[in-house]
Amino acid sequence: MISAQGLTKLYGDFTAVRNVTFDVAPGEVLGLVGPNGAGKTTSLRCLAGIITPTNGTITIAGHTLDDDPIAAKRALAFIPDEPHLFEYLSVEEHLRFIARMYGVPDVDERLPVLLGEMELNDKGLSLPGELSRGMRQKLAIACGLLHEPSALILDEPLTGLDPAGMRRMRATIAARAARGAAVILSSHLLNLVEELCSKLLVLRQGACVAYGTMDEIIVAHPELSGLSLEDVFLSLTGETGSSSGAEAP
Amino acid sequence: MKALFYLTWTSARNRFLGAFRRVRSPRYAAALIVGSLYIWSFLFRSPNRGATADFLLGRPSQTLITLLMVLTLAGAWVFGADVTALAFSQAEVSMLFPAPLSRRQLIGLKLFRAQIAVLINTLIWVFVLRRGGNLLPSPLRAVSLWILFSTLNLHRLGAALVQAAWKQHGRIGARRNRYSIAAFAFIGLFIVAGLVVHRSSYLGRGIGEFFSGLSDVLSSEPATIGLYPFHLIVAPTFARSIAEWRWAVLPAFGMFLLHFLWVMRTDAAFEDAAIEASAERARRVEAFRGRRSFGTITGPKTERSTFRLAAKGHPALAILWKNMLCLRRTVQLRLFIGPMAMAIAFGAAVASAGGDTAGFVSVTAATFALMMVVFGGRLIRNDLRHDMLHLPMLKSLPVAPSHVVFAEVASAALPMAALQFVLVVISYFASLLAERQPIPASIRLAVVVASPIAVLAINGALITVQNGMAVLFPAWVRLGSGVSTGVEALGQNVLAMMANLVTLGIALVPPMIVAWTSVLLLNASRGLSLAFVLIVASIVLAIETYGAMRFLGRALNRVEPLQTI
Repeated sequence: MISAQGLTKLYGDFTAVRNVTFDVAPGEVLGLVGPNGAGKTTSLRCLAGIITPTNGTITIAGHTLDDDPIAAKRALAFIPDEPHLFEYLSVEEHLRFIARMYGVPDVDERLPVLLGEMELNDKGLSLPGELSRGMRQKLAIACGLLHEPSALILDEPLTGLDPAGMRRMRATIAARAARGAAVILSSHLLNLVEELCSKLLVLRQGACVAYGTMDEIIVAHPELSGLSLEDVFLSLTGETGSSSGAEAP
Repeated sequence: MKALFYLTWTSARNRFLGAFRRVRSPRYAAALIVGSLYIWSFLFRSPNRGATADFLLGRPSQTLITLLMVLTLAGAWVFGADVTALAFSQAEVSMLFPAPLSRRQLIGLKLFRAQIAVLINTLIWVFVLRRGGNLLPSPLRAVSLWILFSTLNLHRLGAALVQAAWKQHGRIGARRNRYSIAAFAFIGLFIVAGLVVHRSSYLGRGIGEFFSGLSDVLSSEPATIGLYPFHLIVAPTFARSIAEWRWAVLPAFGMFLLHFLWVMRTDAAFEDAAIEASAERARRVEAFRGRRSFGTITGPKTERSTFRLAAKGHPALAILWKNMLCLRRTVQLRLFIGPMAMAIAFGAAVASAGGDTAGFVSVTAATFALMMVVFGGRLIRNDLRHDMLHLPMLKSLPVAPSHVVFAEVASAALPMAALQFVLVVISYFASLLAERQPIPASIRLAVVVASPIAVLAINGALITVQNGMAVLFPAWVRLGSGVSTGVEALGQNVLAMMANLVTLGIALVPPMIVAWTSVLLLNASRGLSLAFVLIVASIVLAIETYGAMRFLGRALNRVEPLQTI
C-alpha cells in the first residue's frame, strides 16, 4: 500500500534522508522513530508529495507519486505535527473543502459523525483562531480522516491532545488499520509506538538503522534481546553510546 | 539592572549582526543598495527640502504641533491612554515578570528601550530639517528633538501608568496619583475655558477664519496658561537662533526631568495592565502587518449567509470557494477609501463644476475603475500571495498544480474584474445622462461592449504576474499577512514592484502589436473598430496569461515549503 524504495533527500550538501527502503501493507502500522533531526519529518513530507525526493520511488495504493501524483494523493492522508489550517475557514468549512478536494459525496452524513468523534460538535462555526491547540489538532485529524484514506501518515498525532483525546486517537488509528488502511506513525512516544505498531523503522542521521517487526529486529540484533523498546531505541540510535550498527534492509 | 542592559544590548547587537550576515547574500545586498538609494533620495535629494524645512520650522507649524500634542495627550487622559505604552514582548513577559525585578526596574527597561526609537526619530528629523533657512546647528536641533520625543514618550508612559493604577486600585490608585491628575486637569481646564470664553472668535465663520480665530484664542489667556508647559517642550525645536535656543532649552529639559521623576515615582502595580497591553500590542502588530488586505477575521457566526460548497465538482473550484470566503472575511474596505477619494476628487474637478451630477458619476466611476486596475492587485491578495504560507497543505492535495494556479489567480482576478465591469457600466449609463461628454458616444459604447473580456484579461495578467513572483521568488514577495522591516525589505519591495512592471510591460507587447495591426487593417466605423481591437488584444493577453499559468503550475510543483520560510 505504501512503498518507498531508495528514498533519498538532499538539501545542498546535507543528506536529510539516505537510501531508505520500506513497505507498509494494508492493515499494518509502521512506527517511524529516531532522534531529533534523524529525517523522520522529511521522509513523511516526501511520502505526502510535499517535497520531491532527490532519489528513490514512492508508491501509494499502487500509484507512483512521480507518475500519477493525483491518484496517489487521493488515497493518502497526511496529518502533520503542527496543524496547518486556513485561519478564515470555520471547522465545518474546512471539512467541506476537503470533501470536495477528495470527492466525498456523502459529506453531509459523515460530517456530524466525524465532528462527534473528534468532540467538535459545537465548534462547527468556529474559526481556527477560536480553537485551543488540541482542538486545532483534532480538526486537522478530522480533515485527514474524512475521505477514509487507504494510506495514513501521522506525524506526532497526539501533540496537544488531552488524555481522553489521546485515548480516542489511539483507538481511531487502530480502527483504521483494522479496516485495511496502511498507517505510518511517527512519534517520540515509544509506548504509543509499542502499543499500535506492527513494524518499526528506526532512522539515525537520515539512514535506516533497523527495520522490521520487533522480533525481526531482535533476531538481527541478539544483543538487544530482553530490552524494553526504549532501551532498544536508545541502543540503535546510539543515544547511549552503544550503537549496534544495525543494517538497513 | 545590568541584566536588563545586557538583554537590550545583546538584542540590538544580534539584530544588527543578523542584518549584516544577510547582506552577504547577493539578494539582500541588492535590496539593501536599492533601499538605501530610495531613502537617500527621500532624505537628501528632494529639490524642495530647504523650503519644506522652512515650512516645518515656521511659527504656524509650531502652533499646529503644540495643538496636536495637546490633543494627542488630552485624548490619552480623556479617552484612556494607549495601553500599548506598557507593552512588553511575550518573551519579556514570561521571563522578566517572574524574575526578581522591581517595578521601577521594569519601567526603567521600558524607558531605556524607548530611547532607541527616540534616537532614530531624532536622527531622521535632524536630517529632514538640517537645511532649513534657520541658523540653528544640527547638534542643537538634535538635543531639542531628543527632549521633545523623550518627554512625549515619558508622558505617554506616565498616563498609562496612572490609568493602570486607577483601574486596578480604584479611588486609592487615583488618590496616590492625585497631583499628576490634578495638574493635567488644570491644564485642560484653562484650555477649555479659553475656547469657551472666546468662542465667538472662531465659531460661525468660514474655514480659513475658523483656523485663524482658533489660533488667536490659543495664543491668548487663559488658554496660553494651560498650553505653557507644552510651549516649553517644543520651544527649543522651533528656536530660530542659538540665543533663542539657549533661553528655551533649560525649561524644556526641566519639563523632561519633571516627567522622568513623575514616571519613576508613579506607584502602579502595572503587571496585569502590561500583560494585557502586550497581548493588545501583539494583536495590533498582526493587524498592522495585514494592513493592506487582511485585518480582523469576521467569522461565519457573524455572517447572514455562507454560500455552501457542493460535494461534487472540480476540486480546483474548492480553492476558489475557499479564497472567496477569505476575501469576504478579511478584506478591509477602508483600504479602498483612498483610491475612491481620489476618484471622487478627480470626478468633482472634471465634471461637477457646472452642477453636472451625471457627468460627475460617470467620470468618478471610470476613474475608480482605472485606479482599481492600478491598485487592485495590491488591495485584493486572496491568492497564492496568501496561500504560499499553506504550501505543505496545498501540495498534499490531489489537485494538479496548474489547476491550483488557475484557481488562485481567478480568486483575486474575478472580484476585481467584476468590480471594474460594474464601474464601467455605471460610468457608461451615467454618461448618457451627462450634460457634456468629451468622449464620443461610439467610443464609450465600444469600451463598455469590450469591457467584460478586457477586464478579465487585464486582471488575469496582473494577478498572474504577482502570483508568479510569489511562486518563483517567494523570498522577495510579502507572503500572507507577514511583513519584513528594514532598509533591505524596502529595497526588496521596490525591486519586486519594478519586476512586476517590467514583466507586465513585456506581456503587453504582443497584444499591442495585434491591436495596432488590427487598427491598420480595419475599415469599419471607429467605435466598432475599437471594440474589435480591444477584444482581440484581450484574447491575445489571455492566451499569454494561460501559458504563464501553465508554466507557474510546473514551477509550483517544484517549489518546496522550506523555500517560502
